[in-house]
Amino acid sequence: MDAAVAFITSFPLVLVVSLLFEGIDRKIHARMQKRIGPPIIQPFYDLIKLFNKERIIPVTASTRVFEIMPMIAAAASILGASILLSNTLSGLGMIGDLILVMYLLAMSSIALMVGGLASGNPYAAIGFSRKMSMMIAYEIPMFIAIISVAFGPPAVLTIDRVIKFQISTRLPLAVSSLSMASAAATLLLCIPAAASVVPFDIPEAKTEIIYGFLIEYGGPYLALAKIAKAVSNFTLTLLVSVVFLYIPSLLGEEALINLGISLSICLAVSLLIMFATITVPRTIFARLKIGQAFKFYWMLPLALSILSIILSVIGL
Amino acid sequence: MTAERDVEREVEVEYTRLRIPFGPIHPALKEPVLLRVSVRGEEVVDVDMALGHVHRGIELLAEGRNLIQTLYLIERICGICSHSHTTCFIQALEEIGGITPSKRALYLRTLIFEMERIHSHLLLLGVIAYEIGFDTLFMFTWHVREKILDLFEKITGNRIHHAMNTIGGVRWDLTPRMVEEIDAYMREVEKSVKYIHNVFMDGTVEKRVCGLGVLSYDDAVKLCVVGPTARGSGVDIDVRRDHPYAAYDELKRDFSVVVERGCDVYARTEVRILEIFESINIIRAILDRLPDGPIRPKENVFRLMRGIPEGEAISLVEAPRGELLYFVKTDGSGGLKRLKVRTPTFSNLIGLKPMLIGCEIADVPVIVASIDPCLSCTNRLIVIDQERGESNVIDVDSLRHRVRRRWMRQ
Repeated sequence: MDAAVAFITSFPLVLVVSLLFEGIDRKIHARMQKRIGPPIIQPFYDLIKLFNKERIIPVTASTRVFEIMPMIAAAASILGASILLSNTLSGLGMIGDLILVMYLLAMSSIALMVGGLASGNPYAAIGFSRKMSMMIAYEIPMFIAIISVAFGPPAVLTIDRVIKFQISTRLPLAVSSLSMASAAATLLLCIPAAASVVPFDIPEAKTEIIYGFLIEYGGPYLALAKIAKAVSNFTLTLLVSVVFLYIPSLLGEEALINLGISLSICLAVSLLIMFATITVPRTIFARLKIGQAFKFYWMLPLALSILSIILSVIGL
Repeated sequence: MTAERDVEREVEVEYTRLRIPFGPIHPALKEPVLLRVSVRGEEVVDVDMALGHVHRGIELLAEGRNLIQTLYLIERICGICSHSHTTCFIQALEEIGGITPSKRALYLRTLIFEMERIHSHLLLLGVIAYEIGFDTLFMFTWHVREKILDLFEKITGNRIHHAMNTIGGVRWDLTPRMVEEIDAYMREVEKSVKYIHNVFMDGTVEKRVCGLGVLSYDDAVKLCVVGPTARGSGVDIDVRRDHPYAAYDELKRDFSVVVERGCDVYARTEVRILEIFESINIIRAILDRLPDGPIRPKENVFRLMRGIPEGEAISLVEAPRGELLYFVKTDGSGGLKRLKVRTPTFSNLIGLKPMLIGCEIADVPVIVASIDPCLSCTNRLIVIDQERGESNVIDVDSLRHRVRRRWMRQ
């Protein structure tokens, strides 16, 4: 597929798919709680309603930052998702786009944090400081896991080349070697924190600090923040499914020819990943405290990610 | 404009010691109370409390009504322990009027009382689960509670305000079929609560509730906390055993008072879970030994009301949240001279400060929830106006004065 066409079509595709994913997540979550739950397209209704609401900017806010940051957050995460999706589709890679996607995801959550802090609300300040600690806890293992791909068997940081490597070995990366398996595990463990769902929804704990840095956002700004979150959740799951669990690689060269089939398999896998890393934890756990979460991330995922780097340097 | 500037200054200057207004409207609070929590980083260093956001002046309203109207009015003091309030009030009236309800009426009162305790405790367990971010447990707990509410509807016709009590007895009787249904429901509830108890003992919950909000035995005694809050700190008090009322005298052997010595949120939670089992035991004993007889006197309720002489009485019951006290002074012509209600939350709120200081912000909601605050009960007559650190308590007389003055003007 032509790269430009792929890039342009992936913008609406990313939006629709990530909102649908959110709807599915909410439905399954509700069913697991013995509730009926909202219709799957509820996130679309939410957005339509939010975009039609008035804009409220608190008097304590520094207006510019408060207004611009949700847009930057939404733009960054949509861009990240589109790069990932279009590079998967078109088979055209740019060097280091894996790092770029990760950077855009981090950018999106940092933009939201800064925008929230600019509201001048004390809850937002606490949310900001909590999110800061959480990001230190999960971003480091996440980046190490991604970098270990470059040290490992594929020895590249380009999404397209990673896919081609998986097709050439006819195995998903996560099962090809021990180091990649632990890198994949690290990423999977980091997804709940990056998506900030229970047990790691500490920065926006609604019963403690009332959604933290999102507290003053409403109307169109909240809609943008919601888009940013939904899209970055989708990007994370798609990233794992494309880079580590590229199941279409089992088909061999077919995977590159029948793009539709391989894309739908990828999406199905990322839906499964979302179920396992977002829906299930937020159903079966209680919220942790910031210290406990920090300890968890620096005990397990960080150790796993360092292990994966060491293993890949050794060549396992 | 000055207020806005004040807010700005507060945020800027006191950054190391941030003051967080926890309420009056906050998703963790079911009812409005304002806790001014001062924090340094995540640690709570000081707590200040302001009540009065749902003050309704019920005691004053009651003084302008007759006893039957008051009975329905005070049922509205609390949406959760409505039966406790009416029972307490009716007991005082019956003591003044020298009316003895029949055995069956007393047993039925106790039955509703214990069912109310189950529903109130389940509500609180759900709230605690919600505060620690465990929404699934919250949904499960309230799912069980729904069944109890349905049962209430079957027995009394209402889910929340049962209007069960009347002077000298109760208004609704149990049919044999209802007895069977209650028995079947109790088996179901017991099974579900066992499951909920298991989940509460799970690691993910324990991490959030163990060793938190410690109220030592000495503090609990000194601050006169009551009910499950006191029993969670090892204070062995229970009105049902210490001053038996209704049918509890005859049911003494069918329940034990649950006392935990953990002193933390978990202990208070566990006391409530175990009390649900005790309540189920009491209900089973009641269904077994339900005596026959009339459920209320044959006379018209208004004639009974007018027959109550002038007098005063103090009545105590063990509401789900603890000891509930009523002081009732009748005027001899079917009205009230004075009504004073002291709800359990009023005693327990004082215990919050030692619990909260030193904890993290993350723990504030669950600690506040652990005393099961029922603020609409508490906010009746005392208005505490705490602006900028000053606090002046407006006493009963001046408040009454104010209200009267406003009425006169109209």
